[in-house]
Amino acid sequence: MYKIDILRRSFRSLLSAKARTLLTAFAIAVGTFALTLTLGASNGARNYGDTLIKNNFDPTELIVSKDKNFFSNTSSSQPQEYNPSFGNITSDTGNVRQVQMLNDNDLSRLGQINGVSTVRPAVSLALQYITRDGQRKYVATLQAYSAYKAPDLLAGNIPNKFPSRSIVLPEAYLSSLGFNNAHDAIGQTVRLAVKKQFDQSAALSSILSGNASSIASSLNSSSNSAELPFKIIAVTQKPSALIQPGSALYIYTSNTDLITLNDFTTTGSANFHKYLSAYIQVKNGTNIADLNAVQSKIKDAGYSAQSVIDTEKTLTQVINVLQGIVTVFGLIAVVASVFGVINTMYISVLQRTREIGLMKALGMHKKDINRLFRIEAALLGFLGGLLGSIVAAVMGTLLNPWISNKLGLGSARLLQFKLSQVVILIAVLIFVAILAGLLPARKASRLDPIEALRTE
Amino acid sequence: MITVNKLTKTYGKNDNEFVALKDVSFSIPDKSTVAITGKSGSGKSTLMHIMSGLDRPTSGSVVIGKTDLYKMKANDIDNFRANQMSFIFQSFFVEANQTCYRNVMLPLEIAKINITKRKSLVLEALKAVGLESKVYNLAGTLSGGQKQRLAIARAIVNRPSIVFADEPTGNLDTITGDKIMNLLFGLNEKLGSTIVLVTHDLDLAKRCQMQIHLKDGYIESKGKLTSKQLI
Ligand SMILES: Nc1ncnc2c1ncn2[C@@H]1O[C@H](COP(=O)(O)OP(=O)(O)OP(=O)(O)O)[C@@H](O)[C@H]1O
Ligand SMILES: [Mg+2]
Repeated sequence: MYKIDILRRSFRSLLSAKARTLLTAFAIAVGTFALTLTLGASNGARNYGDTLIKNNFDPTELIVSKDKNFFSNTSSSQPQEYNPSFGNITSDTGNVRQVQMLNDNDLSRLGQINGVSTVRPAVSLALQYITRDGQRKYVATLQAYSAYKAPDLLAGNIPNKFPSRSIVLPEAYLSSLGFNNAHDAIGQTVRLAVKKQFDQSAALSSILSGNASSIASSLNSSSNSAELPFKIIAVTQKPSALIQPGSALYIYTSNTDLITLNDFTTTGSANFHKYLSAYIQVKNGTNIADLNAVQSKIKDAGYSAQSVIDTEKTLTQVINVLQGIVTVFGLIAVVASVFGVINTMYISVLQRTREIGLMKALGMHKKDINRLFRIEAALLGFLGGLLGSIVAAVMGTLLNPWISNKLGLGSARLLQFKLSQVVILIAVLIFVAILAGLLPARKASRLDPIEALRTE
Repeated sequence: MITVNKLTKTYGKNDNEFVALKDVSFSIPDKSTVAITGKSGSGKSTLMHIMSGLDRPTSGSVVIGKTDLYKMKANDIDNFRANQMSFIFQSFFVEANQTCYRNVMLPLEIAKINITKRKSLVLEALKAVGLESKVYNLAGTLSGGQKQRLAIARAIVNRPSIVFADEPTGNLDTITGDKIMNLLFGLNEKLGSTIVLVTHDLDLAKRCQMQIHLKDGYIESKGKLTSKQLI
């Protein structure tokens, strides 16, 4: 018998038992459905993570800290000895750890490492406020502009060398600061206010000496805070791409101005010229080998350093674990459906004993009968796989906006289906279904035609 | 020419041993009609199965033309059956949930007949048995006589040299059975296939050119039946 004839025959016999065929396919479809959604979700999560990292971290940069605890989220179960020169990190859950800070000495040491092009301390400065003549005051965070971020601009432009005493303002501040539109804001001046950090030891000695009122006056004294004029050179569009939560409101200025302001706020405190981490730009950093070389040199010098790749790895690991868990459930469903296929195929063989006997009597080869039933199983696998993945894709596509809304992903979509993955998944299911059909097919091919034709 | 030589078929072993065929030998000329008769359990079906390569004899041989059936491999016997033989059974064995067209197509598919030639062969065979108006009806909806005519169409579609028919009228009333047999004998004349007819209906057997009468697995008589056997 030609293979095409066998295929058509399999197809027809599945068609002539529609209910049985559909029910068995449904069983396979359930597993496929779960697996398709899992694949889609992990594609989405991976893309989300990648985009998040790409939009926020320069892959040619390394994040360096003096303390390897900076990168680890696990807090030791042992109390940590206090060190006045260390900085504090508070975790989301509120427990505090101390990590060693980078000082100017460290920064210049890092700058001298072969292959390092620039060192920039990681500073995120909480302004006291931002304001403009005749407008209210608003809370704001100041960050150093990095060309890598290349935000979409509504107006103005950012020269290669970021001018001093200038800022890039996010769109969201426009109306708050009384601008009609982005173009109105360009060239205008806003005032950034910074405040010295509260020097606890000085305050304490004042209190102990009974001179509490002097603290109040010193806190209010104009020398403890400053309001500086900055010119708006550009306005950034509300980012459509994925960014770190909260970073949509970052105001950007030059690294030099940021450090100057930061120095002002930390003067006289323990944090003066101390940084938790620094960004190191690597020469020719797009070359992974160069990046890795610098990274290991930094580690040799006694610092810890992470690249974007490391961050991605950590993220990917989390996604992999989650994906693994759901995949196992999907596989369990598939395994369960395998028994469904075996059962259906056995019943089919029993029901068609006479048909098989007739085909054998008419000279059909044993291996063709075997093939006939394996193809039927394969078709069941194909049907189930197609059904499950189509339903998953349709449902996923319809639910995506709702999921994004619930998870606060913005325009990003969690469930991203790839045709190639679905095709491979269906191919695997066909293979699994064929395996499930092996025993029933063998039974069919070994039927004795005389016995089979005696069956009334 | 079909030559059956010293066929013996034994079922079971030792105490359970049962000899279904004993030293059966005969030969049938091409394009003839042969009846295998005998009481129930006399070994008629067993003989037919062995002659058609569905079963294997314990000893002896079946030579069809120049082919010694049981010297071939299983696949070659299958091919031989697909190209040279066909079957008609007492209980029709049509595929009820397929159309008449599909039912008759089966032997052509198995024999790997050229796809372009199939359709006209099927329609021709259905026409020969008078089912040209039922081509695309489901076989399950046919009457008993129509089902057996469908089985005959399936048996002749591939122009076999031998048609084996095991009690083809056993499930039909006398009138329908007669019509079926007229059809079968007519086709034998037209197509020139050898017909091996298994029956315990002696009237039917008389219409064949040759009779082989079995009793308890051995040939009691060959050729024209005696009046005693007719009773
Ligand atoms: N597989 C088997 N195992 C044991 N005995 C068998 C087997 N097949 C057939 N027989 C026996 O062989 C004998 C001949 O059987 P066969 O089917 O050839 O009879 P028959 O002449 O066709 O009878 P009927 O007219 O009832 O169809 C019977 O006694 C039967 O019980
Ligand atoms: Mg019989």
